[in-house]
Amino acid sequence: MQGIVLALLVCLLLALITKRYALPTIPFYIIAGLILGTSGLNLVGGDEISAFLTHLGLLFLLFFLGLEIKPDRIWKNQSAILSSGLIDLNINVVIGFLAAFALGFPLVDALIVAAAFFISSTAMAVTSLIENRKLLMRESETIVWLMVFEDIVVILILAFLGPQMDHPLAILVKTLAVLAVLYAVIRFGKDQIIWVLKRDDELPVLLTFSVVLGISALSVYLGIPESFMVIAFGTFLGTIDPVSFEVQSRPFKDVFLVIFFVFFGITVNLFAEGISIPALLAISLIAVISKYASGIAIGKLIHRNSHSGIEIWANTIGRGEFSIAIAALYGSAAVSSAIAFMVIVTSIIGAFVAKYSGKIGKILIPPASSVQKKQGEN
Amino acid sequence: MALRSINLPGIGTKYELETEKQDTIAVFFLKSGNIQMYTLQHGCQTPSVAELSAPEARRLGSILTGAIMEADRESVEFAFSALSDLRITIHTYLVGKTIAGKSLEDLQIRAKTGVTIIAVSRGDKNIINPSADFELHEGDTLVAIGESDQLRRFEREIMVT
Repeated sequence: MQGIVLALLVCLLLALITKRYALPTIPFYIIAGLILGTSGLNLVGGDEISAFLTHLGLLFLLFFLGLEIKPDRIWKNQSAILSSGLIDLNINVVIGFLAAFALGFPLVDALIVAAAFFISSTAMAVTSLIENRKLLMRESETIVWLMVFEDIVVILILAFLGPQMDHPLAILVKTLAVLAVLYAVIRFGKDQIIWVLKRDDELPVLLTFSVVLGISALSVYLGIPESFMVIAFGTFLGTIDPVSFEVQSRPFKDVFLVIFFVFFGITVNLFAEGISIPALLAISLIAVISKYASGIAIGKLIHRNSHSGIEIWANTIGRGEFSIAIAALYGSAAVSSAIAFMVIVTSIIGAFVAKYSGKIGKILIPPASSVQKKQGEN
Repeated sequence: MALRSINLPGIGTKYELETEKQDTIAVFFLKSGNIQMYTLQHGCQTPSVAELSAPEARRLGSILTGAIMEADRESVEFAFSALSDLRITIHTYLVGKTIAGKSLEDLQIRAKTGVTIIAVSRGDKNIINPSADFELHEGDTLVAIGESDQLRRFEREIMVT
């Protein structure tokens, strides 16, 4: 208990500093965890309470993701989402997998590293577009659809990866049955749910908290993919009143997610796992370069312009919440330390590059050559 | 003038307008509740940006609709997109010497102009829906509602005489 309080106070202090300078908070929470925990001073260790609280953080992160997913909107924009998304997926998963495999990860671990390597942080991309006032850029829409594509990939990973105690077909049937029941309940209970959400007493927040925990407990009991169910349930509830559910679940998400990040850092052991720090640094830098390749490719395909590629790169370098979620759910100790390192390095470099993308772009692709190229194209 | 709007997941709603002179104005209603407004001059590469809170944006909106804005006289116009051509304006007026001491009934405001007085602010008190025999004092602020034509008639016929 004292450990959690200490960790939270350190995070509060860090949040005050990072927000002041408009830096991403996630890497600093993880660094705080690394310093306080096994890799550092060993002041705080994980226990049952912290495990429960981090679990809540993950559940609310996923529930929030579900609320944001609007199937009809995705369907309408499928060409925009698919064209850039598939380039992003192919380039980064292949490079991520090869890099992890070359560093000595076994096959399955290398695939998990590749998934975390591929998925940029939606939260960091959105914040950086808003904070750096880049919403008007044509590339910002491309970036937003890219994040939607990556979110869908996260959902697919969570649906198909997991501890499987049953035959896959049995799990699929059970999952579909539960989804159908949930959908029917939400469909026919819509008026009652709206009535509860409109109240200004403790009912709306109690409802939100208990349904999220309830779905998680039900999924564990039935042996169906828990993370996927929480997301799907969020998407269903999002059809009723996404804003209200967001408002009710935001405080839970905000607090428990900080605990999730800091305890992820606390439990990771950077030094004991046979993968050297230079190797971790190498894969993190490859992660930056790999997004450069995909960013330029997408920029050239969609905007016919390498400078667009720089902007896309700049805002998608940072890996964050979903990479950590994948590490926490599926990663071995070695995988977790690699992903923790990658998130810290990419998100700090990403924040810097996104802020100075104009200047960096001019250095990487000198304007003179791009003018000549444009004339050549005409 | 081309206006397009799009919903950007995670960010909010974007409205983009290209003016006749090919300048671009884009307004983003962010999920945080704030509003970012970008203006990009034709031929220019980097836009200038202002971030507004919701009340600031409303203020800017009523300036752009052409309403008069002074400290003691300001108005807001509402347009209901679902009801075509229904535009309602709410305007505030300062009661001067000419109509002080008269009641709303004496002035025959609604019969003459179609305008309704929905509230009166006196000192630190507000009177909502004042009755017909309510007597106006100098320095009261009237909140009047009506169409802009009716309000103009109200200004000409009641406030000035």
